Amino acid sequence: MKVFESKCTFNYSWEEVSQANWRKYCAWNDKASHVVSVDTLSRSIDPATGILRTERLIACKQSVPRWLMVVVGGADVSYVRETSYVDPVAKTVRMESQNLTFNNLLSVFETVTYRPDPANPETKTIFEQDAQFKAAGGFSRFCNKIEDWSVERFGQNASLGREGFESVLRMSRQAWNDLREQGTSLPTMAAASAPSA
Amino acid sequence: MSASLLPECLPAKEKYDACFIRWYTEKFLRGERTEDETCKKLFLEYSHCLKKALDSKGISKMLDEARKNTEDGDLSRRES
Repeated sequence: MKVFESKCTFNYSWEEVSQANWRKYCAWNDKASHVVSVDTLSRSIDPATGILRTERLIACKQSVPRWLMVVVGGADVSYVRETSYVDPVAKTVRMESQNLTFNNLLSVFETVTYRPDPANPETKTIFEQDAQFKAAGGFSRFCNKIEDWSVERFGQNASLGREGFESVLRMSRQAWNDLREQGTSLPTMAAASAPSA
Repeated sequence: MSASLLPECLPAKEKYDACFIRWYTEKFLRGERTEDETCKKLFLEYSHCLKKALDSKGISKMLDEARKNTEDGDLSRRES
């Protein structure tokens, strides 16, 4: 079992971050080319807690090294199930993801949280990410290799993810400021949602 | 916002996503606790379109399996 952890602070309010989080993989993010599609599977509000629950399916295209390609049989698209919980009172976003494909080979459990920075709750948001990698086979040397490669690749995607999300945040704020000046309602995302594929 | 698994579902997805983000920003973050009826209707159209792709690619089965194996909101706790 290998573990990847990272933490960073975004210089945006929790409201801005939690809103931009839904657009994380839109055309404004040119750093997430491995994400092929994002679909919402279900969405509901818990009447007791007011927590918004969303289940999404994310398709990723990953260049897999040749030694691993033999095992996965040439398939290059993998699917991830993501369940997220937004608590508007406590101001937390928690996202949990697991891989649906290749999980006979490797299980990945990722948890991401966004919460206001206690020192600057109005202007800064803390992002925390934690991922656990567990290769499933009995060949320990091969499993180690799979785990090492996955952690390394995950780290690369994670730092790209931060960069990409920064540009989504910037564009979201810009869009909001423009609107505030015009005094109109939110535009549709049509202009920004042209498929990048 | 991003592409859909099934390209033909993209128009329905975009309509729903736009409706949702507007509700999320203007209502939910401001204390509203009920879902928007228009968005709900758009979601039904979108998920109806998506279902074909989920079934034909075998993803529905994978999802059912994953849902069975992980109690909701329990992923992190289960592992610790």
